[in-house]
Amino acid sequence: MNRLFDRIFQTGAPVWLCPFRPFFLLTAAHGVLAMAAWIAFLSGLLPLPDVAGGAVVWHAHEMLFGFAMASIVGFLLTAVPEFTGLPSIPRRRLQVLVALWLGGRLAFTFSGALTAWPAALCDLALLLTLIASVAGPIWHQPDRRHVAFIYNLLALLAVHAGFYVALLGGHDPMPWLRLSIGVLMALIIVALSRISMRLVNDVLEAQGGESAPYLARPPRRNLAIFAIAAYSAGEFLLPGHAVAGWLALAAAAAIANLLNDWHVGRALCQRWVLIPYLGYVCMALGYALIGLGRLSGMEMTSAGEHLLVVGALGLAVLIVMAVAGRMHSGWGLDHRGWLPLGALLFVLAALARVGAGTPYAAAAATAGLQAAAMLWIVGWSLYLAYSLKPLSGPRPDDRGGCDEAAPVVEAATP
Amino acid sequence: MSRARLTLARRLVDGLAATGHYLWGGWGSLASLCLFFALWEFTAQRLGSLILPTPGEAFATLTGLFASGEAWPEIAVTARRALLGYVLALSLGSLLGLLAGLSVTASVMARPIVTLLVGTPPIAWLILALLWFGAGDGTPVFTVFIACFPIIFVGAMQGTRTLDGQLQAVAQMFGLPGWMKLTDVYLPHVVSYLFPGWITALGTAWKVVVMAELLATSDGVGAALAVTRSHLDTAASMAWIVALVGSLLAIEYLLLEPIKRKVESWRNFA
Repeated sequence: MNRLFDRIFQTGAPVWLCPFRPFFLLTAAHGVLAMAAWIAFLSGLLPLPDVAGGAVVWHAHEMLFGFAMASIVGFLLTAVPEFTGLPSIPRRRLQVLVALWLGGRLAFTFSGALTAWPAALCDLALLLTLIASVAGPIWHQPDRRHVAFIYNLLALLAVHAGFYVALLGGHDPMPWLRLSIGVLMALIIVALSRISMRLVNDVLEAQGGESAPYLARPPRRNLAIFAIAAYSAGEFLLPGHAVAGWLALAAAAAIANLLNDWHVGRALCQRWVLIPYLGYVCMALGYALIGLGRLSGMEMTSAGEHLLVVGALGLAVLIVMAVAGRMHSGWGLDHRGWLPLGALLFVLAALARVGAGTPYAAAAATAGLQAAAMLWIVGWSLYLAYSLKPLSGPRPDDRGGCDEAAPVVEAATP
Repeated sequence: MSRARLTLARRLVDGLAATGHYLWGGWGSLASLCLFFALWEFTAQRLGSLILPTPGEAFATLTGLFASGEAWPEIAVTARRALLGYVLALSLGSLLGLLAGLSVTASVMARPIVTLLVGTPPIAWLILALLWFGAGDGTPVFTVFIACFPIIFVGAMQGTRTLDGQLQAVAQMFGLPGWMKLTDVYLPHVVSYLFPGWITALGTAWKVVVMAELLATSDGVGAALAVTRSHLDTAASMAWIVALVGSLLAIEYLLLEPIKRKVESWRNFA
């Protein structure tokens, strides 16, 4: 116990070596805990929590701005120094960020007694600090290649602030949470385009042969982001309107169009390509479900949104954390079986959650929700079990901080 | 032998992959169309369904028209007229255009006439055709022909006018046989001018035939549109319009565009 304490709370502890380490751990841990609590509330094992906005708002907010936000902070604070070649943030600031994130989670959980003010202050301060840490380096790059991240973060900040304004003003905060799903989907597209260019081409190169290199083509990406933004804005301004239904279908088609970049032959069967690909498939299907449900009069928006956040977001977070978490801790890519298994669990969780949300399965809805939650929990537990050592232990090589592992495919396994 | 078979298989696979990529790219077009439908839906809901029915209403009416069997005969009649006029314009226009392009004098002479033909609005030709051919197939077929002819003629003429003299000389020098000169030097160049003309003309044919039918005949899609207009049945009007535009899009993207890519593939290497 004492050793664990030392490992975490000492400033020199390995967990503070690089920003992704604490935040990826928190992402997975929160994925498990917040979902376990939610399913316990739903099944009546725990009394409904006394939180601002009600239990559903708590669940959605914790998954979007607790779980997903932690992964974003960890990813960007690691990726931006790599993109720009500038040093990573100081450890002290990293610890402040972790404290803000933890404070936000606690404050929101006790927001019934505390009001939502402390949570708002912690959460928004976290986002502002993140933006302050990455915006400068990205902006000052000569070609500003990664400026899309800044726009995305500013959108996330605006939406999160809007959420708290609505919550504190006694209005319905759910439309703001819906809007944030759109921002997260756009962020996934921006982030995966950076990661996949490297990863997919590595796989293609390793396979040899004369296949064309993989290119994440900007026009396709921009069309998809535009359509997602159009749907999110449409749903926000005209909730429940058929216009948003068409826009959702447009988003689905634009994301399907994006997949054309990924049709690179046999390499698609490799986990590094297949997992993000499946994430995009979930994203396209999620928007398609929302659009078809809206236009046919059988509302399936919640089911579709869960395909987006469980399927697309879950798989994107998994692949980003599995790759970045190992590469930047010196362990090299992970070729063990738990990763595809985890991805499979999230796909199944998304499908179970969709099943529970469609009008056909109303009778089995609770069983579907519980199954989806269990699959999700097992998936993130797997991640935790297999990544605890790389994330919290010392590096196996003698490089520093966030340095990437030598490009050896199979390093020592923990 | 096995090497030849291997290359064949390889080419087949590559061809299939390219086709798959092309068809999958249809999602992008579909995305733009859905954005357009969203705009349509928004406008329709503002204006009310008497002025502009929603896409859903138009599609439902169209499905009804097909399910009841009402739509097919009208479409067949219209397609027959459009294709007849189009094929006439295509064969005559291509032939005369190619010939005109061979001679500078003929090109100079043809130009003002073509300008005159292009400048005359199809509705004027339609009035003349009504006087000459009366109500029947002749009027729409002639109107389509005369509307498409100058477009194809100009394309064909440009094709032969702009033939690369140097390439001809090279072909001559290497002593290429006549057939090879035709298929490898002249045709690829000429077709790359002809094809855009053919595609534009097909769109024109499809539009003009409906206009002609609207005023001149009692059957076909144009006539059906006239009936829906007189009944103030906006949903059915919209349904017919969707059918027209939809078939045009299908022909263009599933038939003409792939052929165009095929015949113009040499440009990527040029």
